[in-house]
Amino acid sequence: MLDHCSIVHKGGIVLWSRSFTPEASQLTSSSSSPVNSLIRDALIEGRVAEEKYEKGGYAVKWTFVNDLELIFVVAYQRILQLTYVDDLLGALKIVFVELFQPFLAAFVASLHAISSSAVVLSMTEATRWNFENALEGWDIAFDKLLKGLENKAAEDRKLRLRPAARPPPTPSPGSSDVDLLPTESQPGTVDEQQIARNVEALKNRLRGRGGTRAPGRGRTRKDPRNGRDSHPNSDSDVAIKHKQKGKVLRRWGDELPSESEMASLDFSYEKLSDQDHHPASNDLEALVDEASRGIRNKDGLYEVRDWEFTNDKAADDVIARALSGSYKESKPAQGSLGTLGSLFARFTGSKVLSEDDLKPVLEGMKQHLMKKNVAKDIAEKVCEGVGESLVGRKVGGFQTTYATVRLALSNSITHILTPKTSTDLLFSIRAKLMSPLTSAQQRMPYSITFVGVNGVGKSTNLSKVCFWLIQNGFRVLIAACDTFRSGAVEQLRVHVRNLSMLSVGGAGDSEGRVELYERGYGKDAAGIAKEAIAYGRDNGFDVVLIDTAGRMQDNEPLMRALAKLVSVNNPDKILFVGEALVGNEAVDQLTKFDRALRDFSGAGTAVAKGRGIDGMLVTKWDTVDDKVGAALSMTYVTGQPIVFVGTGQTYTDLRQLRVANVVEAILSD
Amino acid sequence: MTSQRGIVSVTVMESLPLMVPKPLAIILLVVITMVVVLYFIRRGSHTRGNSIMLVGISDAGKTAILSTLVYGQTLSSHASLQTNTCILPLNKKGVTLVDIPGHPRIRAQFREHLPDAKVIVFVVDASSISRNGSIVAEYLHQILHAVVTILPSQNPPAILILAHKCDLLKSGTVPSTSSLGQLATNRVRNVLERELEKRRQSHTRSVAIDELGADGEDSSELGGLDCNGPPGESFKFVEWEGGVIEFIGTWVSIGEKVDLENEKSGNGSNDGLKDLMTWLETHI
Ligand SMILES: Nc1nc2c(ncn2[C@@H]2O[C@H](COP(=O)(O)OP(=O)(O)OP(=O)(O)O)[C@@H](O)[C@H]2O)c(=O)[nH]1
Ligand SMILES: [Mg+2]
Repeated sequence: MLDHCSIVHKGGIVLWSRSFTPEASQLTSSSSSPVNSLIRDALIEGRVAEEKYEKGGYAVKWTFVNDLELIFVVAYQRILQLTYVDDLLGALKIVFVELFQPFLAAFVASLHAISSSAVVLSMTEATRWNFENALEGWDIAFDKLLKGLENKAAEDRKLRLRPAARPPPTPSPGSSDVDLLPTESQPGTVDEQQIARNVEALKNRLRGRGGTRAPGRGRTRKDPRNGRDSHPNSDSDVAIKHKQKGKVLRRWGDELPSESEMASLDFSYEKLSDQDHHPASNDLEALVDEASRGIRNKDGLYEVRDWEFTNDKAADDVIARALSGSYKESKPAQGSLGTLGSLFARFTGSKVLSEDDLKPVLEGMKQHLMKKNVAKDIAEKVCEGVGESLVGRKVGGFQTTYATVRLALSNSITHILTPKTSTDLLFSIRAKLMSPLTSAQQRMPYSITFVGVNGVGKSTNLSKVCFWLIQNGFRVLIAACDTFRSGAVEQLRVHVRNLSMLSVGGAGDSEGRVELYERGYGKDAAGIAKEAIAYGRDNGFDVVLIDTAGRMQDNEPLMRALAKLVSVNNPDKILFVGEALVGNEAVDQLTKFDRALRDFSGAGTAVAKGRGIDGMLVTKWDTVDDKVGAALSMTYVTGQPIVFVGTGQTYTDLRQLRVANVVEAILSD
Repeated sequence: MTSQRGIVSVTVMESLPLMVPKPLAIILLVVITMVVVLYFIRRGSHTRGNSIMLVGISDAGKTAILSTLVYGQTLSSHASLQTNTCILPLNKKGVTLVDIPGHPRIRAQFREHLPDAKVIVFVVDASSISRNGSIVAEYLHQILHAVVTILPSQNPPAILILAHKCDLLKSGTVPSTSSLGQLATNRVRNVLERELEKRRQSHTRSVAIDELGADGEDSSELGGLDCNGPPGESFKFVEWEGGVIEFIGTWVSIGEKVDLENEKSGNGSNDGLKDLMTWLETHI
């Protein structure tokens, strides 16, 4: 059972949606709906290539129609194994686009007013936009599709459960994932008979029109245009090569509509373009001219009638073919202009990007990213995401595929690197220190915990942060919670001595600006941190910086200990310190630190939910030149911002990341 | 070695025209003219400096407003992934209406559209402003900073803050719609003034960290919150040095069709955006 299905435009407008349960329909009207969460947490973050997204008990799957900027989304209970969801998305996409192509194209154009102003101006009249009329018939079409696929899935399940008792009547088990038409001759429930009747009626109607359908209700029904036996093979080839989503995407994009559809669609196209020429092209005054409005209104009426006509005749045909999977791949016919024409097309644009066009370019981009030290997994996912959002898109003007991909990649990397939460640490510290208190409360210092693997420069960079905080007039307490590695406490003591000397020379009154809180070695780090925070609170410190022992991400006891420190003290920020030199390791380190913190720190403590990493500090930035891929890997994995980068050995070698700068470095040759 | 290579390249250059067959040269010529022509057509279609830019955090209601104004009906919406650019008939002209997504990772696009903006409409969800005050103020701060740093040669855009979703404000006595708008704008103004004051104080006292590759000049320092009021006074919109900031309360109802014609003449039932339309008409 589905919970929710929507068809939405990337700009935010919902074209159509339906909820199947009261809970789902309540949820969809709130901003925490599965669709909204999908967009915010996955699509905008560049996680486009992932298979599915889970949120609040729902599994969400989606697919794009890039040239019309549509997203088809389906949400269902996570515990359900809905096998037909991919097929449903694919079929919805085909049918919806084919039925409403002209309207959708006009709609999308209206949201890109600049790029095609002439078309849009004639459209802007509010009365022309009647979404209900324009999408009339879709509800019925949707029902048919869903029912067909649900029945098919139920049938498959039954067959799987009792394979011996009732062998499949259609002797083509290999094509079962492609052939989605309900097995019509299967006697069984009322529903199935209903479907069979529908299909029969459909076929009759089609026969009446096209005349080429094979007669009778034969089990080995052949598609008129291509032997049905042949195309399942080609399709399943694709299915093996590529996952379901991609396969379907390709199908509709390169599909040649049948003649009859072509005719009906063309008819409405003509209507549409007739109207477009009506107002004296660019004349803005014509927009509000009363006389021309009247005419256009009349046209609008005609158009509505056309639409009904189109829907009625073509819809069933399209649905039937979507269900039977008879949409086969075919290359669009070459223009009659031949080579010269295609040369022309290449120069003047309007080329549709196909997966084949994109593949080599994306592969090149992936190699390039990896050369820049982006972890392999991340490079793959980012490029796949870029590809996913480009397939089927028309490239206009004089853009080459390469330039298009590069631009999309640049945008994608920018989005991934741009923080989604504020990185203004000073502001958050001040906000906490200034927040109003009740009389019973005592002002708590702002606490930052530094975590990471061994030898990445935690203590050094902690000292740099400390220096900067002192400069900003804060009193800072450093808690030496690395009770593991010998020399760790002494190292911090040296830093504190240096820093207090520096601050004497620097910002005015420096009485006890920085102090070290230490309890030697071998003790429980979580306890020391707690004492330190209490000490800081009682002695008027503004910030407590907690240094923890470096640990390998696979060492579970140590990871648990770290999680305990976090859950006991609930620091305001958890900063992960990592090297810019790290390559593929970055993914493993961050994933495991983040997960360990979340999993272990949630259990039975004051902290309601496990907390993950809040941000990263990337060290040794000066040693990697433009191979700054680690920044991308780290932000992609955690979704959190890089708060600082360390660029050297002195206390002032601390910088803030500038996104444009990093993007440039990553893309530079 | 080098001189030899030079000679070789010269001879190649000389033989180049001979190597290009005539038809190809003609095609080349045609293509080049097309490039030039298309370039100018594309440039010409841009309408500069006359657009309305909708900004505000995610879920504020920007897309809902856009669909109401442009399509005459409030379509339901979800978080936007990309900018919408529509033509809005206003004052017998087509005015570009731009809706910038509010998600923090993609909102920076407002900078590209800022030079074209004659009006910035900052949309605030009045029903959740107490909860979201600090993140709304953070975004508004960025916008104000960007406006203040516009070159003096260009006219700065007019700024309107919309206290949107007035319909969700429920107070005990069910006041009339006009006082609801008043309530919403007051609330939004108060929260934002308080939050912006916090930001101003924090920023004047801060020593910021340099950004990578930044060379002093274009520092990350966020200003733009100075006021003309007496020194020591907290942030007030009316005293903001960057220009006039106005407030209007608005709402839309999802799924409802709006007859914009009637609305303009004042006898429509859904008049949630009426004040906005009036304001836009006088400022475009
Ligand atoms: N009650 C009420 N709800 C509204 C109003 N305006 C918008 N909404 C709802 O608020 C939600 C968010 O509106 P959007 O227009 O999509 O928000 P947005 O500002 O475009 O958000 P982003 O695109 O993410 O930046 C939608 O569910 C709207 O239905 C209003 O005036 N009243
Ligand atoms: Mg939006």
